[in-house]
Amino acid sequence: MGTPQKLEVGRRSGRVASLFDRIVSALSRHNVTLSLALVLCMVGLVGLFVIRDLQTANAEAENMYLVSVQGLRRIGELQYDAQETRRATLYALTTNDSNLQLEYADQSRDADRRVTDGITEYRQQAKQPVEVELANRLNRDWANYLPVRDEVLALILEGSTAEAVHLDLSGGVPSFERVRQDLNEVKRLYEDEASQRVTNVEATSHRSALRLIGILGFAFLLSSAAVWAIQRSRMLGAIQLARTQMEFVASVSHELRTPLAVLSSAADNITDGVVEGKEELRRYGRVIQNQSRQMKGLVDEILLFASTEDRKDRYVLRPLEVSLILEVLIGSTRELIQGAGFAIESRLESDLPPVMGDLAAISQCLQNLVGNAVKYSGNSRWIGLRAYAAAGERGDRTEVRIAVSDRGLGIDRSEVDSIFDPFYRSQQVSALQIHGTGLGLALARRIAETMGGKLTVTSELSVGSTFTLHLPIAEGERLTMPGTPSQTASSATS
Amino acid sequence: MGRLVSFLMVLLAVAGLLLAGRPQASSPSAGQTNSSQGPSEPLAIVVNHANPINGLSMAELRRVFLGERSHWPNDRRITIVMREPGEPERKTMLRDVYQMDESQLKNHFLHGLFTGEILVSPKILSSAVGVRKFVFNVPGAIGYMRLSDVDGTVKVIRVDEMVPEDKKYKLHVETRPAI
Repeated sequence: MGTPQKLEVGRRSGRVASLFDRIVSALSRHNVTLSLALVLCMVGLVGLFVIRDLQTANAEAENMYLVSVQGLRRIGELQYDAQETRRATLYALTTNDSNLQLEYADQSRDADRRVTDGITEYRQQAKQPVEVELANRLNRDWANYLPVRDEVLALILEGSTAEAVHLDLSGGVPSFERVRQDLNEVKRLYEDEASQRVTNVEATSHRSALRLIGILGFAFLLSSAAVWAIQRSRMLGAIQLARTQMEFVASVSHELRTPLAVLSSAADNITDGVVEGKEELRRYGRVIQNQSRQMKGLVDEILLFASTEDRKDRYVLRPLEVSLILEVLIGSTRELIQGAGFAIESRLESDLPPVMGDLAAISQCLQNLVGNAVKYSGNSRWIGLRAYAAAGERGDRTEVRIAVSDRGLGIDRSEVDSIFDPFYRSQQVSALQIHGTGLGLALARRIAETMGGKLTVTSELSVGSTFTLHLPIAEGERLTMPGTPSQTASSATS
Repeated sequence: MGRLVSFLMVLLAVAGLLLAGRPQASSPSAGQTNSSQGPSEPLAIVVNHANPINGLSMAELRRVFLGERSHWPNDRRITIVMREPGEPERKTMLRDVYQMDESQLKNHFLHGLFTGEILVSPKILSSAVGVRKFVFNVPGAIGYMRLSDVDGTVKVIRVDEMVPEDKKYKLHVETRPAI
């Protein structure tokens, strides 16, 4: 009962692992840039958060200082000046010298002016209803105290000391006490506000610290994950390379052993006298000739791939008529196509401009594509060749495209990105025992890109594939109307 | 002997009368300017802005400054503000308002305070600024100062219906010597 479930789970985990490996593989292609970008992004992000938090805390502290601390200082000054108003008035009682009494009166009035200004300022700054109410009350109480103070001063200056003391005790003290209480209440409000702001600053600081720890932890985890992914991708890349090289060696060995076995067998038969008659000998000769050519082709392909590593400077780029390219292609592949019993349908748009390229290289590239079409067409015996003009990717530059289509096996979507990798052989192809080195498409793409073009593919499994060679047109030969319906010259060869 | 004593007493009385009458005889009459003695400027009589009084006759002014009147119409006690002895402003007041010399003034106030006819002795201030501040602070105060020392904190009252700027204004003080 458990075995099928285990198998299903195993398949799922295998798919997940495959998907993960693909992601890692994708990461590995740009690992250095990606990791640098990732680290920079994280550092930048952390920096931004740190700066923002610092700014917030700074603004909060600054606000606290401005509003609460300065407010408390102002209230302290206000309290002192209010006391000074009263103190100077009482000092006037201590002397009979009118000149000195006047000095004390001046001091009292100066202090009362400062208090009045301070109260006005506080009233202007008051915003909360409780503050406004308190400011109005303070102003009213202070305004009530001042006439009493003035009268006391007048009595002192008149010399009516007893009356002055009596008035101060009966009116001045209660009035001033109300002012004092108001100022204490204002101070208490400021202290409450300062306390609240300190709490806010502490909360902001705590929040910032937590956020920083979180961000740094996240950045650390992400960086670790990135490093791990890079390491793993490198390892997978190395494993893939080793596997590919092994497959290549096996494939090449196999490709070489088959004709070698035939050659060896033919040689043995001839040596042992098994071959009799000229006709039989001629048949053996053809066999030896074919196998030798196959081996030569294989070796040539490997050598060609190796030599195109830095071939750009050796290509001779010149304007080429597309019709000429197709003509050379059909001529060079006629034997292959006819031998395999294929029909080739060729469609060439009229008035195509010349392309810039190396004829031999383009021909080699297209031969590879046609060879693949023959190899992977399955039971279909049709190959389509189409040459047409189209707008390039940027839109402002036209290009000529030569498409080679087949109605064969098609390519699985998951393998489309890998088929251009050197030595890559799909599992389906290997299973069908279709021989090859896995170098044909890699070679074709390298040739296309070396000449300033590119090679693309569209494919559907069991429906067929179309490989398109994009070639830049020769300078001064751009099409003016790439979208114009064109006359098509078609031909079919079999 | 009795005749001699009587003669001496008469002689002393005559001498006393002569001595007592000298200041009055030598001082200029009230309202007389001292323009003949050199350049002068008006001496303003100032009160607190709260004081309803706007003007006084010279006789009323004299009564006020002598302490013979104790309260203003608003029941505020009158407080007299004087400059220190020797100041030109005080000399003008002694000559034109009090019509006394320093000792007579001193005796007058000592006698008034002793008998209870005067409630508070005049306040003596050392400067015009002091006078001005005092009058500003004390609603019942009355003082004097040069017209050039007057500012908006005090009120200048008319004397005999004349403001200090009038040509016939009677109180003048010699101008300050140039420094």
